[in-house]
Amino acid sequence: MADHSAEEMAPTPGERITGFFKRKDVARTTILFVAWTTLFIVLGLVFYPKWMPIVMSKEMKSAESIMIWFTVISAPIAGIVLAVTTNAFLDMHRGDTPPPDGPAIRTNGPIVAIWTIGSLLFALVAIVWGLLEVNSQAVAAGNDAKSAITIEVTGAQWLWTFKYPAQGIETHDLNLPVGVPVVFNVKSADVNHSFWPVQLGVKIDANAQVTTVTRTTPTMIGPIEVKCAELCGLYHAYMETNGAVMSKTDFNAWVVAQGGHTS
Amino acid sequence: MSILDKPKVSSRSIPNPKKSLITRLHMGTGTVVGIIFAALTYYGLKSIYVTYTDKVADPMTTHNNNIILLGAMFAWSVGFLVGIGAFIGPWRWLIGKDLTDEEILYMAGDGQGKKRYFKYCTDHKVVGLQYLVGVMTLLGVGGMMAMMIRTNLARPGAHFVTPTVYNSLVGLHGITMIIAMIIVATGPFGNYIMPIMIGAYDMAFPRLNALSWWVLFTAIPVLCSAWFLGGIPTGWTAYAPLSIQAGPGMNAFLATIIIFAVSTAVAGMNVTTTVVAMRTKGMKWNRVPIFVIGSTISVALAIPAFPTFMAAMVMTSLDRTFNTGFFDANMGGSGWLYSNLFWIMGHPEVYVILIPGVAILMEMAPVFVRKPLFSYNAAILGFAGIAGLSILVWAHHMYMAGWSPALNGPFMVTTEMISIPTGLLFLVLIGTLWRGKPWMKLPMLSIMAFIWDFLIGGVTGIYLSDVPADSYLHGSMFVTAHFHFTLMGAALTGAIGGLAYWYPKMTGRMLNERAGYISFWLVQIGFNVIFFGMFMVGAEGQPRRVVDYAALYKNSNMVSTVGAYSVGIGMIILLWAVIHSWTKGVVAPMNPWGAKTLEWTVPYPVPLTNFDELPIITSDPYGYGKGK
Amino acid sequence: METSTQNQVSGGKHLTSAITFLFLGVAIVATVGFTLHKVSADPQAKMYATTNGTINYNGQNLKHAFITEGVYPEPIASKAHGASGGSHLNWPSYGPATHLVLPAHAYVTMTLHVYDSGEKLNTNYFAKVVGTVGSTATFDGASAGSILATEVQHTFTLHGIPTSTQDPLFVNVPLPRVVADDKGNNIPTNDPGTNKSGHTVVFSFVTGGAGEYVWNCEYPCGDGTYAKFGAVMGSTGYMSGKVSVING
Repeated sequence: MADHSAEEMAPTPGERITGFFKRKDVARTTILFVAWTTLFIVLGLVFYPKWMPIVMSKEMKSAESIMIWFTVISAPIAGIVLAVTTNAFLDMHRGDTPPPDGPAIRTNGPIVAIWTIGSLLFALVAIVWGLLEVNSQAVAAGNDAKSAITIEVTGAQWLWTFKYPAQGIETHDLNLPVGVPVVFNVKSADVNHSFWPVQLGVKIDANAQVTTVTRTTPTMIGPIEVKCAELCGLYHAYMETNGAVMSKTDFNAWVVAQGGHTS
Repeated sequence: MSILDKPKVSSRSIPNPKKSLITRLHMGTGTVVGIIFAALTYYGLKSIYVTYTDKVADPMTTHNNNIILLGAMFAWSVGFLVGIGAFIGPWRWLIGKDLTDEEILYMAGDGQGKKRYFKYCTDHKVVGLQYLVGVMTLLGVGGMMAMMIRTNLARPGAHFVTPTVYNSLVGLHGITMIIAMIIVATGPFGNYIMPIMIGAYDMAFPRLNALSWWVLFTAIPVLCSAWFLGGIPTGWTAYAPLSIQAGPGMNAFLATIIIFAVSTAVAGMNVTTTVVAMRTKGMKWNRVPIFVIGSTISVALAIPAFPTFMAAMVMTSLDRTFNTGFFDANMGGSGWLYSNLFWIMGHPEVYVILIPGVAILMEMAPVFVRKPLFSYNAAILGFAGIAGLSILVWAHHMYMAGWSPALNGPFMVTTEMISIPTGLLFLVLIGTLWRGKPWMKLPMLSIMAFIWDFLIGGVTGIYLSDVPADSYLHGSMFVTAHFHFTLMGAALTGAIGGLAYWYPKMTGRMLNERAGYISFWLVQIGFNVIFFGMFMVGAEGQPRRVVDYAALYKNSNMVSTVGAYSVGIGMIILLWAVIHSWTKGVVAPMNPWGAKTLEWTVPYPVPLTNFDELPIITSDPYGYGKGK
Repeated sequence: METSTQNQVSGGKHLTSAITFLFLGVAIVATVGFTLHKVSADPQAKMYATTNGTINYNGQNLKHAFITEGVYPEPIASKAHGASGGSHLNWPSYGPATHLVLPAHAYVTMTLHVYDSGEKLNTNYFAKVVGTVGSTATFDGASAGSILATEVQHTFTLHGIPTSTQDPLFVNVPLPRVVADDKGNNIPTNDPGTNKSGHTVVFSFVTGGAGEYVWNCEYPCGDGTYAKFGAVMGSTGYMSGKVSVING
């Protein structure tokens, strides 16, 4: 009997795992984990698209996707952290004397290793995603260069003005034809501003010393807002203007009405 | 006499070195001499440099106005330090008549009672309490400005204040809170508690310790003077060239930072030397309490980082006074030079703020769960990894600046990598909580609040660190919400927990518990309400630092404002608790929490030299748990 | 070690102390807020447009409203900063008001009497007349769509945040400089109506529904600071202000 008892009593790996999850604190933490992870996934999938403005370009879509999917990917990590914390919160000890000592766990090598490798993987996913996106935007910039409309954007304290050299007009509203790539050459007449056509999801600072560039292709007809995203003094808040993405016909008609020419 | 020798304490006579100037100097004499120096400099410079008045229409004379104001502000600071006796020690050393032992003891505050808090006192415990009061003052002023900002944003239309006042509120709230958060953990607790925690009699450079506090003190009126000089049009980042265009109030901002940089440099040298050289026998590096390690890493990071901020401020001042053109495009300068210098400081600086806050929470976690700190080594690696990587990430604040689009990718890589050591910090905390029974006191609540706050801050930071998402989010209220979650969630929550934890050792009494809980919940719930509303409007497209906004953002802004009032009330209640409990609180036993670090082995009032005999350490302070 | 009974016994005293402190704290914050609010009041009284008759515009009969303003090289002449001229005697100023109130859905004719010298704009766009009826203004009686960008003294540039609760409104009118450089000669000693050494600019525009807008000058008439947009340009009540469009 002494010979067999050790083998009979030692649990199998399967038994060990189910035994682990049957423990009260582990079971409760698992339920909390599911709850918190679900909450974060819902935050990413439901709320961000609700809050963010209408997607009118690939860059805007990319920004929205990152916010949604990075939330979903980090949901399990948030889930574990919050599950352990809320589980501990539910176990709280009140009173003027401390609770009895807990187990003397100094570290857990495998957990630390898994955690570190997990974070590394997560960071890599984020890095690769971001780099791929940056690269695809750079490639698009190269491809679209020849067919793009150029707009010279000037930020002054406290208004935006837009010059369309090819069309020979200068305006304070930003109107664009749908489906045509546009390159914004941005400069400041004075202090730092930041050119932000919100629905197009691009942004670039306006500096006095050098012209900066950003580009996009509007994919949908509709109104857009241009805001300033860098504090530039007294009326920074009022440095906003309207604009619209229009059909090519409407855009040409507008250009002519401003006194310009369509090439 | 070396710093490691135990100073002689006269057990019978109170030191009163007659004929010594230092007995007659204090805050009052400092203020008087400071004002005299400032006035002399102001009128002296005014007679040399003609100012912009209706008699002289030359517009370049606005520069002279800046020279005069900056000169007067620095003169005030130097004058105050002269008047309070900061330079007596070095002066006497210079002329070969070094301070006597009695004078040194006098300067340590021996036998002077409450008066020593208003003098140039070298006792680290006095300096710690001075910092505590200073931090609370800055928090109060900064918090008041936050209430003003949120009141204005409650409705669209800028009905409460003008854009000039609002922009000043935003910029000055920012710099006041940044300064407060930099010193909130290492100031009061790094000074008061840390030397006792490592088993030392005092810090390595006691006179520099007093200097770091009083230099900071002189910066406070300078900062407040910005309001009387017309405010500032920039945010706390003071971007050039808007800062060059700014009115006289900008000089107050620049002078404050330059003065503050001296204070942090001095304090940084002191803390690092103390921890490296003065740990008591047996306290090997792997037995040092995590709070000490975190504080040291934090100030060691600050030492190389803050000088670039000071340099940027000096260059801005030179542009504004002697027309140097560092940041003026018309003279071949560039605003990007400023941005780079600023953010080379600015990013490490947020980790200077974060690390001590987390270190305090890690120090408290084992005490309140009665388990060892989970993976002490991971904690150290986490702090060190963050500190090291933080130097390589600065231009993620400049993704949209247009400075160097080719560098966006590399900076994105380094920035995402910081999530790895940061993740280790979370692991240490939740690993400590796991299978423990948390003792629900305010320090424990702070740990849990931090976990929630910094998790949200961290996840939202991941979006911002990715360039294609940042091209939407940069410059919006989303960024503001992100950094409030990280900075307030880590530094402020950690410091409040630390205050509740160490209050018995610093005042001899327990902090009023009920007030602490009420304050905690009002602040934490209010805080989350404010900044969730702000995440929403940021995602919806509201830019930051705007006095007015489109109707779309109306409701969320109103919700945020209500949350802000909750935080305000919660903080007032906390302030009441701190002040009230100081004299009327329940008297505390020597070790109310049953903790194992050295500060809980000394009685209150803590003796002048902390220990009669320096202790000898044989283990780390985390030996909790059954079956060690 | 002290128990919680002591807390209960003196709990009442704690509560009174806490509530008093809370009231005190709120009172201090409220006082600061009130002070900032007072400091932020309009620097001058509002100026209302006067309605006189109707005018036919694009087939619609609109109320015809009139408003007159001036731009002066020195604040005393503007009558917008008191008899002493305020604390910045070197700052040019609009006057007598910087907060204009116009009726909604009206045809507004604005007359500006302008007396300052000037030079070159930072941004040439603002030398064009934009947003007015016919995209022109009359300068001393002669109608034009723009002036030389190098001979501008100030501009009247009216704009606002695009938002769902109000109609957009944008007007930009450049104001031609007075050639004589000596500011002393340009201060009118009589009412602006005498046109003494200044120019008169008249233009009209149509307001939409009720709303709040701002206006500012786009000519860099600040001091020697960067881009000459500091000092007076960065303060309210001189070269910037508000326009309220109201119903009724």
